[in-house]
Amino acid sequence: MLSTYAPMFMIIAIATLIAGLFYTFATVLGPKNPTPEKMMPFECGSDSVGSRGVKLSVKFYLTAILFVVFDIEAVFVYPWAIQFRQLGWFGLASMIGFLSVVAIALVYVWRKGALEWES
Amino acid sequence: MLLMFALSPFLVLGGGALLLMLAEVFSRRPSGLAIGTTIVFITSGAFSVALWLYGIEFLPVGILSPWILVDKFTLFFNVLLCLGGALASLLAGGYLVEYKLNRGEFYSILLFATFGGMMLASAGDFLTLFLGLETMSLGAYALTAFRRASPRSAEGALKYFLLGSFAAAIMLYGIALVYGATGSTDLARVGAAFSHGVVTSHPMALIGLVLIVIGLLFKVSAVPFHMWTPDAYEGAPTPATAYMAVVVKSAAFAMMLRVLLTSFGDAESMSWSAGWPPALAAIAVLTMTVANLIAGRQDSVKRMLAYSSIAHAGYLLVGVVVALRSKEQAAAGVIFYLATYTVSTIGAFGALILLGSYGKEAVSYDDLAGVGKRHPAIAMAFSLFLFSLAGVPPTAGFFGKWFIFRAAMDSGFYWLTILAFINSVIGAYYYLRVLVFMYMREPQPGAAIAVPMQSRHVKAALLLSAVFVLALGLAPTCTLDAAIAAATTFRM
Amino acid sequence: MELAAFFPNNNFSLIGVILALPLIGAFINGVWGARLGKPAVRLMALSSVGLSFIASLFAFCALHRASEALGHGEHQGAARLSWLAWEWMHTNGGQFLQTVPVELKFSIDALSGVMMLVVTGVGFLIHLYATSYMANDPGFARFFAYLNLFVFSMLVLILGDNLPVLFIGWEGVGLCSYLLIGFWFDKTENASAGKKAFIANRIGDFGLLCAMFLLASSTGALDWAGIARGAVSLVNPSEGAQIHIWPIANAHYTGWLQFLQPTHPITITAATAVGLALLLGCTGKSAQLPLYVWLPDAMAGPTPVSALIHAATMVTAGVYLICRLSFVFVLSPAVMALVACIGIATALLAASIALVQNDIKKVLAYSTVSQLGFMFLGVGVGAFVAGFFHVFTHAFFKACLFLGAGSVIHAMHSRVHDDVASQDMRNMGGLRKYMPITFWTFVAATAAIIGFPFTSGFFSKDEILFKAFVNHSVSPYKTELAARGVEVWEAPTWFGPMLYTLGVIAATMTAFYMVRALVLTFFGEFRGWSIGRASEAQHGHDLESAEKAGHVHGHGHVHGSEAHDDLTLPGDAPHESPWAITLPLVVLGAAALFAGVLNMAPFHFEPLGHWLDPVFEQALHGSVELRGGAEHAEALMWPLAGGGVAAFFVGTALAYWVYVMRNGEPAHRLATALPRVYRFLVDKWRVDEFYNATIIATTEALATMANAFDKWVVDGILAKLTALIVAGFGSFLRAFQNGVVNTYAAFMVVGGAAIGWFMIVPHPEVVIKAEGAAQMVEATTGPGYTYRWDADGDGLIDDEQFSDRSKVTVQVEPGAKKTIRLEVKNAFGITRSKEIQIAGPDAPAVQMGLANAAQ
Repeated sequence: MLSTYAPMFMIIAIATLIAGLFYTFATVLGPKNPTPEKMMPFECGSDSVGSRGVKLSVKFYLTAILFVVFDIEAVFVYPWAIQFRQLGWFGLASMIGFLSVVAIALVYVWRKGALEWES
Repeated sequence: MLLMFALSPFLVLGGGALLLMLAEVFSRRPSGLAIGTTIVFITSGAFSVALWLYGIEFLPVGILSPWILVDKFTLFFNVLLCLGGALASLLAGGYLVEYKLNRGEFYSILLFATFGGMMLASAGDFLTLFLGLETMSLGAYALTAFRRASPRSAEGALKYFLLGSFAAAIMLYGIALVYGATGSTDLARVGAAFSHGVVTSHPMALIGLVLIVIGLLFKVSAVPFHMWTPDAYEGAPTPATAYMAVVVKSAAFAMMLRVLLTSFGDAESMSWSAGWPPALAAIAVLTMTVANLIAGRQDSVKRMLAYSSIAHAGYLLVGVVVALRSKEQAAAGVIFYLATYTVSTIGAFGALILLGSYGKEAVSYDDLAGVGKRHPAIAMAFSLFLFSLAGVPPTAGFFGKWFIFRAAMDSGFYWLTILAFINSVIGAYYYLRVLVFMYMREPQPGAAIAVPMQSRHVKAALLLSAVFVLALGLAPTCTLDAAIAAATTFRM
Repeated sequence: MELAAFFPNNNFSLIGVILALPLIGAFINGVWGARLGKPAVRLMALSSVGLSFIASLFAFCALHRASEALGHGEHQGAARLSWLAWEWMHTNGGQFLQTVPVELKFSIDALSGVMMLVVTGVGFLIHLYATSYMANDPGFARFFAYLNLFVFSMLVLILGDNLPVLFIGWEGVGLCSYLLIGFWFDKTENASAGKKAFIANRIGDFGLLCAMFLLASSTGALDWAGIARGAVSLVNPSEGAQIHIWPIANAHYTGWLQFLQPTHPITITAATAVGLALLLGCTGKSAQLPLYVWLPDAMAGPTPVSALIHAATMVTAGVYLICRLSFVFVLSPAVMALVACIGIATALLAASIALVQNDIKKVLAYSTVSQLGFMFLGVGVGAFVAGFFHVFTHAFFKACLFLGAGSVIHAMHSRVHDDVASQDMRNMGGLRKYMPITFWTFVAATAAIIGFPFTSGFFSKDEILFKAFVNHSVSPYKTELAARGVEVWEAPTWFGPMLYTLGVIAATMTAFYMVRALVLTFFGEFRGWSIGRASEAQHGHDLESAEKAGHVHGHGHVHGSEAHDDLTLPGDAPHESPWAITLPLVVLGAAALFAGVLNMAPFHFEPLGHWLDPVFEQALHGSVELRGGAEHAEALMWPLAGGGVAAFFVGTALAYWVYVMRNGEPAHRLATALPRVYRFLVDKWRVDEFYNATIIATTEALATMANAFDKWVVDGILAKLTALIVAGFGSFLRAFQNGVVNTYAAFMVVGGAAIGWFMIVPHPEVVIKAEGAAQMVEATTGPGYTYRWDADGDGLIDDEQFSDRSKVTVQVEPGAKKTIRLEVKNAFGITRSKEIQIAGPDAPAVQMGLANAAQ
């Protein structure tokens, strides 16, 4: 019963191990040259001190959304790739159809100018 | 190849939507889009008709089951949704240009949302059902927010989106519970499990049923799940309002029929003392009454039409309740009602659009004063649609109501019928009030006068709707036969 | 052959062409008429009716072919060409949502075929006439739109295959008649004449509607074939099939209303009720007693309208309907007798009034009423062919007379320029010289109407009189009913001879007043020289002119240059009318003379009779007995024709003597000798005054009361209060729509919780059914429900375990009561219980031991 989940536990264990190792090595081996700038909490490149109402360009969000959309679409390709042989020509045709739709969406986004930062 | 043919309504609509999307970005001249969209809708509808005439029994539709069920029920709704979409895009062709909103994505959204609606009507599985539901709903949210400069539009859209996601989540949870209890998302198998008493061993299935019913009621905007409707309908650009009132609602009713009659159509779930029909009956009465009472108190005609569409959902729910006695009769009545409701409602919104122009919109009753004299043709068309909504013979609406009320009478729901009838009388009051203003009032001196827009698109949509309203009223036989044939899907 | 292939008998779409053409004409002239100009309107109006006539001819030929195909056997049945134009609703899909039986179906059979030819043929001639007569009227296009619409409606009336379609046409012709009577609506008299016609017709329509409901409920059908099939059920003498006259709706009067309660309900057979209701409808449309009063006033319309609608076609619709439903009328000999009585009474009354009228159109109007009376007499004695034949001949001669009168008025008007004076026969005279064609056609038509031997009117009228004498109406189911002990009323033996005698008297009067009109108009010297524009002041002093004032028209007649002449002096003579007026006169005059050859009963040459026989076959089967047997009746044919001829001679001779030989002097003497009688006749028997004093006064009083009630109670209390309540609720509910999304979500949650609560809490409900002596108690189902019972009423649960047992059988002694208990547990383990009281049967039943339902 639980053996079904064994690979999962193994992944968790390995991930924890690797993360722990990196952290430990970095702390132990890394050079330490602290400055006040470096000690500030890091927040995506923006100042974490000051007024809350910092105006961010809406382009950030648009780009982020577009990234998420296409990222998620790409996720669908993985299961297909694993089952590629079993799915055969039908699977290939379906994936071509799917990717064309994604491509059309990309063309649309492009032509709409959503990918251009300066406009 | 035959499979492609079986899926052609979907393929045409999806492909058309993609093509139009590309056309929009490459041409940068969105003026022809309305006609293009209309043509795509009509083509898709025509393919549905072709499938119907060819005979779905000769097509390999079995392998699509249960994801997409291509049956007569689906085809009827395909045609209906495409008709609603085509008329709405014609309205948009006039409206968006007039109000400087002419951005091409409106049409793509319209097409994709309708695609979702068609999926909803044809889904035989909770997964595709939910997929279709979200495709349609997201489109509807976007359409509502389409007037970006208008705070009302944004407000309406936000409310719609919040509550819509809330309802979708509730419904999804219900689906999960039902899946947990029955082990299947296939509507038919769920239905089999329910009729084998899954509730006894897994009481959570019953909770799932309740949650799904709530989600369905939200989508058809039944009281008390309706409160987003007036705000969203008022905020949205009028063609989008017409679209939501007609296409989204029709698709939601298609989903409701499919789910309730297939999955929860067993004798115990439909018990008149403890099942969903009595709950639905109570909701129906509440919906009709509340919507009609509030509609009578509105000053804005658009908002009145929004409430009127809620009231019509109430009449339709009466039709759904009839399923307790005869599923087929219930489905036939509801389907036919939706057909009549589609053309009348689109026509009424269209007339309202045509009566106003940029800066001189027709919004309130006062704006309509004296229209009967100034613009007799539009006033006459508007009256025709209102008569149909009120159910005056020989318009389409009369037969729609007649079949539902008659089915309710035949099934012994006398009180329900009487209440529905009283409500349609109250409804007639505020529809006729429009007529009173159009024909018997003169505009206040100095008051702003609504000036009709010049748009061939809107006029064409009105003409088409008027032809349908009269045709369905004068010769309903053909459509009714089709509705009855579509309803055989639910034959026991 | 080719034609038959295109138009099969059961889908004879040529009917659509016949109907559509006038409708298209009406539509185009009505909508675009003003823009099209007069020539185009004329072309449209004439071509639509003309082509319709040609199509009718084709249809008639096809009908003839179809009836040939059926053969000439004794029971050949009626040939019928039918066309289903439109069904309102018809489903073939399911076992539910049944058909709405509304069919727009038309058919042509022998009867409607002849009628159709008359309407389109005479209609075309009158259209042609009107193009000239109305040439200068500003409402030219409107007039032809109405006239075309009338032809369409009349065709719908005739060709309708069921009563509802006939009713559409019936109302349509009524509407057109109303519109055309009030065509010159700027004159009050015209408008009120239109209203009068409308109201009188509504009363009749009420009868027709009642008849429709009665027929639908008794025979279950409204189409001709269906009514014919179910007609026998109309004479069903059993209690349920009879119509209760009193007490209304089977009410039961008690208390101080006791005296209203009869010992036995007063009933009549459905046949009699239907017949009476239909008769009321027919008297309204065909201007018979007591509803004839509108027709004379209807002469306010333009003369072509009087000719087409109020003489040749529409007013004969009542006779047509009686013929159409003859098989219903004959079922009740009492109704038949009443039809005959109404007919002869109307004929006499109208003829007596016509004797003293001076307005030429009034004379013709009363003559129409009188002739319609003859038609009713004919159909009332079972002589349907004769009655219909009179409709046919009357269409020609009366149209010709009216058109002739119109031609005369036209000519007079261009001379005297006065609406009233130009219709007054005392101003005419000697017109024979000036308008020969009008004169000769008028003579021909007069000859026909007064029954000059071997003209059309002679044959039709004589056959009616002959049949009135020899026919004796009996119930066709006499023997069957007698076997069941039911007696049917029959007219006494003197009834036929009485009808005959009175008919001869009416015919004599007809001859007198028609010859009087002819003589006053065309013979002697022209008396119009002395009347001119000044006549308006002049006739104000003239009492007799004032008597017949009020029916006037006259916009748009030719106002030539002579209008400026000094009209008190001899000036331009009256002149003959243009060809568009004279051609119809000649055609109609010829038809008036010679149409009689179609049915010359005394010579045993009756093509029309044979043609119509299949239509009346069912009606005449066993319903008419010939007085003294067929042989005897045959022998009486020529002697009885003598009565008609005598009437013609006496009437004509008397008129000739009075108005030609003595120049009207005896008439004056008689009028002065019997002033009261004279005034009484001039005042048209004072029927209008009588109606004013009785019916209209009562109605007005009622209307005043209803108005007050409506104003104070309905509007004031009911409407306002309801509106207030509805508005109040609306405002209350609107308050919840506050725009805050949290509220919205809260309502959703509350609503969802309510549904959830309803579904999750079990509902113990039961349905109790008596099953013999025991009663079965069945719990309603619900999702996941299990049950346990206390079925024996001892207060203890029978079985601790919840189970699927949803039914128990309980036996309760008569008169006793028992309380049982049901507990329901649902899937969530929630339990609800309910106590149910079960009463034993009321009647004492056989004593039985209590059976424990648990076993």
